[in-house]
Amino acid sequence: MTAADRDPPVLPPGLRDRVLAASLRARAVGRPVPDAPKISATEAYRRAARAFDAALCLLGEDDWRTPVLRDLDIQGLVGHLIGVEDDLHRALDGDPEVADAGHVESTQATALDQAGRPPAGTRADWRRAADRTLDLVRSADSAAEVAMHGMQLPLGALLVVRAFELWTHENDIRQATGWVASVPDPSTLRLMTELAARLLPQAADRAGLIAPVDVRLVLTGPGGGTWDMTVGGDAPVPSAVSIVTDAVGFCRLVANRITPAGLDLHVTGDPACAAGVLAAASTLALD
Amino acid sequence: MIATPSQVCLDAPPTARAISGYCLASAGRASVQGVGGTDAVLAARLAAGDDHALAEAFDALASSVYGSALRVLGDNSAAQDVVQDVFVELWSHPGRYDPMAGTLRTYLTVLARHRAVDLVRSELRRVARQERSYRLTPAPPANGAGDVVLAAETASLVRAAVQQLPASQRQVVELAYFEGLTCRQVAHAVGIPEGTAKSRLRLALAKLEEMLDRQLLESS
Repeated sequence: MTAADRDPPVLPPGLRDRVLAASLRARAVGRPVPDAPKISATEAYRRAARAFDAALCLLGEDDWRTPVLRDLDIQGLVGHLIGVEDDLHRALDGDPEVADAGHVESTQATALDQAGRPPAGTRADWRRAADRTLDLVRSADSAAEVAMHGMQLPLGALLVVRAFELWTHENDIRQATGWVASVPDPSTLRLMTELAARLLPQAADRAGLIAPVDVRLVLTGPGGGTWDMTVGGDAPVPSAVSIVTDAVGFCRLVANRITPAGLDLHVTGDPACAAGVLAAASTLALD
Repeated sequence: MIATPSQVCLDAPPTARAISGYCLASAGRASVQGVGGTDAVLAARLAAGDDHALAEAFDALASSVYGSALRVLGDNSAAQDVVQDVFVELWSHPGRYDPMAGTLRTYLTVLARHRAVDLVRSELRRVARQERSYRLTPAPPANGAGDVVLAAETASLVRAAVQQLPASQRQVVELAYFEGLTCRQVAHAVGIPEGTAKSRLRLALAKLEEMLDRQLLESS
């Protein structure tokens, strides 16, 4: 550090405002650089399904019996996903019974039915179900509301939820078999982080976060971005907290696959508020 | 409204720049503890579009950036322009800063110095162009001894520069400018197409401009 650095000149008044304003004219707040190429929700689902299928192709005959989630082995987990696709097809058809059906309860029978079947048959059934989803949504309106498993979301958002779930379960399988974890491509990840950030206020309400908090959520790395939101109420002077973590880690938290302790976090503001917000984020998981 | 971070560690050594810090307890009511941001975290936040990170970087480093520019330029207004350029650059292209290569303070002050030196060079070029244009503009009839000397000096500079041109270019310049021929007449006199005469003249003028610029810059 030079003498000039130790005793730097006083900045002219107004320079700070001028520089910050010029910077924001060059690039808007919240827009990441480099920005991931935009893709549709259908494309995100297609990519997640392709990655999931690729993981299934790598499984040996015995791997399918590896315990992976709840009381399910990998074959049962794929059966669960067949059940989810079937429920989605019914929801797209306007079947009211799937609107409030439980995500796990509604699919458990299909999951358990896989026991004893040849794994290739389970995989073929799942592939058929995923392809049927793609056929059904091809000509559908992505803004149309669809209700299933207690969620009511535009179809586009629901497909991102589905991509999120496929990535989560693909990584369940990877973990169970000792493979390295996978990371979604930046375009898919950006849709996932956007959706998670948008749903965070609802998650906070559901988690019973009473004290209102102004949250700045900064997700770093490819697929990240910056979001401002108020969660947990409507008081005139809410607390403020800034949470910085990496985009993939945050998605794993949202999927309830890691706890906040597993994240690389930088928090400013009230630590208790940050902890509440992060705990709320993990309640978005479907499982 | 978002709180301004209380701790920003902008000069952390490279080994301490891994993204780490606050940890949440995993069970029960979580608590947050830890240290402030590092240059790598700040860079990642800038890339994510967090303008608070830009404000933090400005508050911590703008004085040094301003001082760096001011030392080169010696002019408050021009130094402020450099500060603006540097921070707009940081915000627009945060990926150009590599935390493994050095601190953000070093990156920004070096960038400011380069911008300031560029500004000085560009100003010198502008002044030199003005000077040359002034010297090459036909002067009104000389009134005093000083004017006569200046005109003679300019003419001598130009003739010396013309002498350094390749023969084919020198010939067309002499015919066009010292003997007052048009392009068509030059082409006819040399026995080349008119288009060739024009392009030789263009090339010659570009070279003369460069040579005279250099001489004027050296004498500045």
